[in-house]
Amino acid sequence: MKNIVIGRYIPGNSFIYRMDPRNKIITMLILMIATFIINDFRVMLIALLLTLLLLPIGKISIKRVYLGLRPLMFLLLFTFSFQILFNTQGPIVFDRELNYSILNLLLIATIVFAWFFTKRYVPFKLIYFLFTVFIMLYVLINFELGNVFNTGNIRIYQQGLELAFFIMIRLIIIVTLSTILTISTKPTDLNLGLEHVLKPLKIFRINTEEIAMIIAISLRYIPTLLDEANKIMLAQASRGVDFTEGKLKDKVVQIVSLLVPMFIISFKRSDELANAMEARSFVPGRARTKLQELIWTRMDTIALCFGVILLMSSLIMRVI
Amino acid sequence: MAIIDMKNVSFQYTANQKALSNINLTIQRGEWVSILGHNGSGKSTLSKLLIGLLKPSEGEIMVDNTLLNAETVYDVRRKIGIVFQNPDNQFVGVTVRDDIAFGLENLQVERKSMVDKIDFYAKKVGMYDFLDKEPSALSGGQKQRVAIAGILAMSTDIIIFDEATAMLDPKGRKMMLDYMKQLNQDGVTIITITHDMKEAVLSDRIIILKQGKIIKDDLSEAVLRDKHTLEQSNLQLLLPLDILFELEQLQLSNERIKEILWELSLNA
Ligand SMILES: Nc1ncnc2c1ncn2[C@@H]1O[C@H](COP(=O)(O)OP(=O)(O)O)[C@@H](O)[C@H]1O
Ligand SMILES: [Mg+2]
Repeated sequence: MKNIVIGRYIPGNSFIYRMDPRNKIITMLILMIATFIINDFRVMLIALLLTLLLLPIGKISIKRVYLGLRPLMFLLLFTFSFQILFNTQGPIVFDRELNYSILNLLLIATIVFAWFFTKRYVPFKLIYFLFTVFIMLYVLINFELGNVFNTGNIRIYQQGLELAFFIMIRLIIIVTLSTILTISTKPTDLNLGLEHVLKPLKIFRINTEEIAMIIAISLRYIPTLLDEANKIMLAQASRGVDFTEGKLKDKVVQIVSLLVPMFIISFKRSDELANAMEARSFVPGRARTKLQELIWTRMDTIALCFGVILLMSSLIMRVI
Repeated sequence: MAIIDMKNVSFQYTANQKALSNINLTIQRGEWVSILGHNGSGKSTLSKLLIGLLKPSEGEIMVDNTLLNAETVYDVRRKIGIVFQNPDNQFVGVTVRDDIAFGLENLQVERKSMVDKIDFYAKKVGMYDFLDKEPSALSGGQKQRVAIAGILAMSTDIIIFDEATAMLDPKGRKMMLDYMKQLNQDGVTIITITHDMKEAVLSDRIIILKQGKIIKDDLSEAVLRDKHTLEQSNLQLLLPLDILFELEQLQLSNERIKEILWELSLNA
């Protein structure tokens, strides 16, 4: 439940906050596309710099963006090591003979165990994890203990290294941009912007207004549902269900004791809500006017032009 | 001038049991009518029929001289608003402002007049200072007042309160009753569905439903005194009337009555 906090709207005031949500979505998409076109390392770094520069200019909390990136850390590490280890194109930039021995492997196993059993006592989990990984790599590469039984080479190729960096920076840029979007835009405005941006989908007979209404209702009821879940958890806890960490079997009991009442309540709620909506003249699929207003300012034009220019220049640089 | 006219209306959810049978009911414009009845007597079914959420199995319903059918149902819904029992399950908007706007958006009201109406009716129910608040920051009574504002903004002639005070605390309930009075004075036709006699006292007329049938339809003063019918449908006499009847039966002197009332009030 804590994860919901990531990327949630935080009231504020800056030119990014005041931009038209339609434009925010479009400009963000343009910038994301640009990062996929860039294929020069230095240009990529400039793009990263520009993106990070948006944070202080737009008065966006850097901590929130970092929190948004954190769950992706594992993915980042994985793709990074995957590219480095298995991409074998381009010249070799790093080459080293590897000598394993049983003692080496034992040492590594010990390190893993030590990490596993001590991690809960360490406040900086991520840093501790990285630290452990580095020690393991160090043991793997630099120690030769006892009888060496297997040798191989670890080789890192230029393209592997480049691609690894590209993917990482791209992911960072994309997550940063989308976090900026969600932090600086009220969910209802975002939803309205999305409804407008998705309008072309009408050609495929997708009813974008209905989708927007569904999202709007979900936005309205998420806090209520969380409240309800808390109440049910308290009620079930008072009947003896243990919601603190437990074995798999306990987890199943916890989830069932939460889901069954939630399901029944939600069913009743949606029936009543549908009645209330229809009673107030709501007809699914029929046109409605909107209270919310979308205002396109000069700033929006400038931002959009800026985005398009960046996209164009990344295209041109790629062609040259 | 009848604003609601039901003729021989029946309704059944399942084949073998009628939730409502043979309802004949006329309500005048500006009237305040209470519908009383025990749980499952068909009160909510009646209100859903009036607003076209359900279709009668038999009979016909006229609302403001329009026959309710598939074509006219959207026009009829402009004339009738319902405040339901659970404040949380009828709050559609993310904020108070959005919620009052919801009905107006559905009626495709221009943005400009929408803004004016929202301000006007939010002031009317005393929720103007809460326009940007989310429902989780409001009490049940406040949410119900927002629901009233949303309905008033659509300029409905009739408002049905389907046990709208049942989930409120005494203070919220009192406030709702005050709004009902005020609305009725402004000329709105009001139908309150309840099993709280204190609410029924305020209305001009009381209808009692039992197992889907109207068993009593009379002026409030008459129904409130009708101990026999009330007991028949598991409703309680108002406490003062109950005491009065008991005392009358005992045929006591005025002095003795005074003494008994004193003792009662000391024990209460
Ligand atoms: N959706 C439904 N499906 C089947 N039966 C229903 C449904 N809603 C209500 N009923 C039945 O219809 C009868 C009248 O219900 P209702 O109008 O909700 O009563 P009240 O509002 O007076 O408590 C009850 O017997 C109830 O069980
Ligand atoms: Mg009911």
